[in-house]
Amino acid sequence: MKLLIIIPAYNEQENIERVVDHLIQDYPQYSYVVVNDGSKDNTAAICRKRGYNLIDLPVNLGLAGGFQAGMQYAEKHGFEYAIQYDADGQHRAEYIGALLEECETGKDIVIGSRFVQKKKPLSLRMLGSRMISGAIRLTTFRKIKDPTSGMRIYNRRMIKLFAHHTNLSPEPDSVAYMMKSGAKVSEVQVEMDERTAGVSYLNAPKAMFYMLRMVVSILFIQVFRSPIRLKDNSPENEE
Amino acid sequence: MSDTLRIVLIVASVLCLLFMLRKISQSKVRIDDAIFWIVGAFVLVIISIFPQIPSWCCDLLGIQTPVNFLFLFMIFILLAKLFYMTIRVSQLESKVKELSQRYALDHMDDEVKQDEE
Repeated sequence: MKLLIIIPAYNEQENIERVVDHLIQDYPQYSYVVVNDGSKDNTAAICRKRGYNLIDLPVNLGLAGGFQAGMQYAEKHGFEYAIQYDADGQHRAEYIGALLEECETGKDIVIGSRFVQKKKPLSLRMLGSRMISGAIRLTTFRKIKDPTSGMRIYNRRMIKLFAHHTNLSPEPDSVAYMMKSGAKVSEVQVEMDERTAGVSYLNAPKAMFYMLRMVVSILFIQVFRSPIRLKDNSPENEE
Repeated sequence: MSDTLRIVLIVASVLCLLFMLRKISQSKVRIDDAIFWIVGAFVLVIISIFPQIPSWCCDLLGIQTPVNFLFLFMIFILLAKLFYMTIRVSQLESKVKELSQRYALDHMDDEVKQDEE
């Protein structure tokens, strides 16, 4: 019991079975938990029928709240690493091993990045990603090439922080804040698929507001927050 | 806009910013909710540094003085925020209701099981 795959799911009845079955069959060495974030469709019913390991939130909390529930589960059950894994099939399980390996070299957060070796395309969709990268670079003097990638792995001391902190969420601004606090963050090249079914709940106005929120947060809020004191990551310090 | 008003606006905005940042570091407010106030404070600073902006809007809307435009603008923003907050409170209340009902019903089953055992 080392790595927990946290799969936040909101209205993913078309995808959830395919994604979780793939993990169970081909990657039995990892544990997983599905966090159903108060879906209005049959996501929870499907998970129960198939006997998946499920945290079933009775109301919708949003991605941050659902992921945090997964982090609390990871903390409670003593997992050393936790990875966020999309329920819509965008993330590829074959890269989990590479991320885990990189994290085991003493990194706090490792991002599964689409643009370590590959160039970021010059599209409108990537403009926001560039703006967030720029904001992180301006405030931490370090480069994060794919800040909006949702595929991130966290180590034990990050799990403990993210499980309870109000203003830590699985978003780029929290990554920037952790970097400012001295956490070691790195990126590993991965590939991602386009979602095959269902709709993303990030439409154009929502995406724009998301970018604005992230940039304002990174430039004007995270800079002025006093850094979190990070505990030593060695196992002797486990309470 | 008089210089005094501009200075008051800038000072008030900066104080608002500092206050929000303090509340964030105390974990009393979520960043998502603080963004509104931070952006608002910045807009006020920009308006006070460049009073041409409200003057231009005044000409456009046929309002006599920039300070009147400022009042109108702020009342409008605050009303919009209030309306949005009303929606948020309603949603919160229905979530709390749903949660308590679900909690109570789930625990009712527990008690029945215990009785059976």
